[in-house]
Amino acid sequence: MQASKTRALRATAGLALAGVALAGCASGGGDAGGGDASGPLIVYTNSNGDGRGEWLTEQAAENGFEIDIVGLGGADLTNRIVAEVNNPVGDVVFGLNTMFFETLKAEDAITAYEPTWSDEVPQDAGDPVDGAYWPLVDQAIVTVYDANAVTDPPADVSELWTSDYEGQYEVNTALGEATPQLVVAGILAPYADEDGEVSDEGWEAVDAYFANGSPAVEGSDLYARFEQGDVSYGVLPSGGIIARDAEYGTDTAIVPNADGVPFVTEQIGVIAGTQREEQAQEFIDWFGSAEVQGAFAQEFNAMPVNEGALAQANPEIVELIDSVERADIDYALVREHIGAWVERIELEYLP
Amino acid sequence: MSAAQSATEPRTPADAGMTPQQPVRRPRGATARMLRSPLGIGVVIGTLWFSATFLVMPNVTLLQATFAPDGELSLSAVERLLSSERALRSLGNSVALAATLAVTVNVVGIFIVLVTGWFKMRARRVLWLGYATTFIYGGIVLATGYAFIYGRYGFVTNAVANVWPEMDRDWFSGFMAVVLVMTFATTTNHMLFLSSALAKIDHQSIEAARLMGASNWTILRRIVLPTLRPMIFAVTVLVFLTGLGALTAPLVLGGQDFQTVAPMILSFSRTATSRDIAALLAILLGLATIVLLAILNRVERGGTYFAVAKVASPLEPQAFRTRWGSIVMHVLAWALWAVYVFPVLCAVLFSFADARAVQGGSIGLDDLTIEHWATVLTQPDALSPFLVSVAYSAIASVVVVLGLVLVSRALTTWRGRLSSVIEYVLHIPWILPTILIALGLVMTFDRPQWLVGGQVLQGTIVILGIAYVIVKIPFTLRLLKAAFAAVPDEFEDAARILGAGQLTTIRRVVIPIIAPTMAAVTALNFTSLVDDYDAAVFLYHPLAEPLGIAIRRATEGDANVQAMSITFVYTVLLMLVQGFVLWLVYGRGLRRRRG
Repeated sequence: MQASKTRALRATAGLALAGVALAGCASGGGDAGGGDASGPLIVYTNSNGDGRGEWLTEQAAENGFEIDIVGLGGADLTNRIVAEVNNPVGDVVFGLNTMFFETLKAEDAITAYEPTWSDEVPQDAGDPVDGAYWPLVDQAIVTVYDANAVTDPPADVSELWTSDYEGQYEVNTALGEATPQLVVAGILAPYADEDGEVSDEGWEAVDAYFANGSPAVEGSDLYARFEQGDVSYGVLPSGGIIARDAEYGTDTAIVPNADGVPFVTEQIGVIAGTQREEQAQEFIDWFGSAEVQGAFAQEFNAMPVNEGALAQANPEIVELIDSVERADIDYALVREHIGAWVERIELEYLP
Repeated sequence: MSAAQSATEPRTPADAGMTPQQPVRRPRGATARMLRSPLGIGVVIGTLWFSATFLVMPNVTLLQATFAPDGELSLSAVERLLSSERALRSLGNSVALAATLAVTVNVVGIFIVLVTGWFKMRARRVLWLGYATTFIYGGIVLATGYAFIYGRYGFVTNAVANVWPEMDRDWFSGFMAVVLVMTFATTTNHMLFLSSALAKIDHQSIEAARLMGASNWTILRRIVLPTLRPMIFAVTVLVFLTGLGALTAPLVLGGQDFQTVAPMILSFSRTATSRDIAALLAILLGLATIVLLAILNRVERGGTYFAVAKVASPLEPQAFRTRWGSIVMHVLAWALWAVYVFPVLCAVLFSFADARAVQGGSIGLDDLTIEHWATVLTQPDALSPFLVSVAYSAIASVVVVLGLVLVSRALTTWRGRLSSVIEYVLHIPWILPTILIALGLVMTFDRPQWLVGGQVLQGTIVILGIAYVIVKIPFTLRLLKAAFAAVPDEFEDAARILGAGQLTTIRRVVIPIIAPTMAAVTALNFTSLVDDYDAAVFLYHPLAEPLGIAIRRATEGDANVQAMSITFVYTVLLMLVQGFVLWLVYGRGLRRRRG
């Protein structure tokens, strides 16, 4: 008995010591808090997956920028920046969509800066009013199917969301995330008046959308469900199409949408109150330039907003993006009301 | 995420503080005596400072910002919530799940404890290892693992469908599936705490019963189970809390008919405008817990407990009396073992398999690959998130255990009004979900606070560690109090008579007795913190990225089709780390016992 007690004690002590020792290694030089002007540039982003973070860190280092990437999901990242507004830790934020950047702007969490490449991007893709954030990459949120498997697709997305296709299309119910929020915004925005009040018709559309859909399965990719024959249609940001076609051997086609589809435009901006504002601005000038955006587009099959970078982008992607209509959505209005809309959907309309 | 419960004073051995008490007269002047002892004063001041700074202030700040953003209290959340059928149904489902689990987990958990600690089973050690897999395998990957095995297109479903094509492919979903998965996944507390309570049963009383002709069954029913009752009650409460806070299993396996409230809370806490609903739902869950506890207390009231012998002869495994009894128990035990071990083996297999093959539901030899392992291990700084998380979790779990040893000792020694208040306050982290606690910390410590010496904590590496300590306080306190209650007063009296001071008595007499519980709680805290995401997301320092964040990063991304396999690689790596911790605490003991 006694032996087992001392053993347990020793194990606890061992764990503690190991912890302290590891902490020593892990935090070597780690005290660079939010305040000081030296040290690496802290870059906040939700767009560091698929090796993009590593690529950027490397490219930046070659060009004299020492950066450290903090990568989080879009909603979480926005919450974090807003929560930190009194004592910002990050210097630059990029990758969030227009809606999230509108939130940051409304909370005074970003500060306006006009980059050197400002005339190479269409003004209305960013923030034409205040110039608080600037566009980098475009993605269309499209409804896709596998043309190898589906021979008679609906003529328009609106036909899909009816009982005729009940259970055949995937709906993403994780409404805290960016893409599902944009889908909802795309459905509701046409029915909203200037106070953000949505007509009953709009709510009926949302109701039909969720009631007839098959909820996404946690941990199962949309294309895996295509393969299993579980569903035939689903929503995907255009950036994921090429990789999936290569992986699953599918031939992705897009269901037409007469009202246009929501676009995600990934933006970049300087975090307000940073001690490294000048470096942050230099980084933005470099990262948004036609040359770097072109290289990024080439590497990751992205659709650059910068017109000078288009030539380097994958022609397949350019063609795909050109083939869909951009929905006319007032993002400032959506930003203001999306929280309430999502809440109502979660409380009343989700299956 | 779970909820608070009433703070009652433990009087029975091995009481986790949740056993029902007949109304006791509180000893008079306990608070005064507490404040006369230097140790008492130290503990009171330390605890009050910590509670005020890290438990009360941040959460008040948050609730204020949530319910009264413009300085005016708004209760529109109540209205919005009550009009939602979906929210109320989820709330009902959570309570139903908790109540069901309280029964099923006890049945399975007690069975496990008996076959590993009571009966003379063949290869008992192997059985124990199999059941102990719950210690190293949990969360979202456990749920998806089960889905990949028994779900719509899982292996087992596919295999059965080959033989019997008209089967219902959705057989493993909804309430039944959630209950099964969570039952098999949450027997850890039984394994650790009920087993150690069983080991303390006096062998002599069992011998005596045997000599008087009692059968195995009678001994179990009349001696063993009544003696274990306080600990069974304690772990039942923990199971309850797990059931109420159930997040991933309903999400993955619940289907449309069985969704619980925790995912809703999580999603609402992420939107600024809906945060009041999240807080309200969390508080409702807290109330549900208190009501259910009150009912359990009433049911439990009036039980008399068998005394655990102070000079116990070690318990010896009991041989089976009849051949068929032995056969039945062996078959059941090994069948259960297979249920426990199969998903773990599958997780290892999945980490080596192509994601498409796994999701498609059939893995051939060609689908095996080490590509995912290469991806994880060769990325720059692959190791650093592991080191960061191990360091944070180890430090936080040791700090919280050591700190609370003194606190729970003070709380059990001096049971006055002040200690009840302190105990209540220390349960605050059980009411609010981690993500809200983290937000409260950011919003409070983003400016100099005189309570922490005018420091700005937000943006430093310290704040995440503080958050980890905070979220582990209630669980640790509960179990440490239970352990203290089991220390016989005579030992301390003897030490005091021999001239030992308070601290010496604790160090030389009390701590050695409660060391096994301390070690077990430390290990459990460690494993639950090491892959944390909810606290880290708001608090982690850019230069010290923890594991939970790294896993998310590796598995997100629009073009990442291998995400699932990568998750399984991390799962297996986590199993190795957690298995190592388990070995530190229990492993050498096993070997010694074997030898």
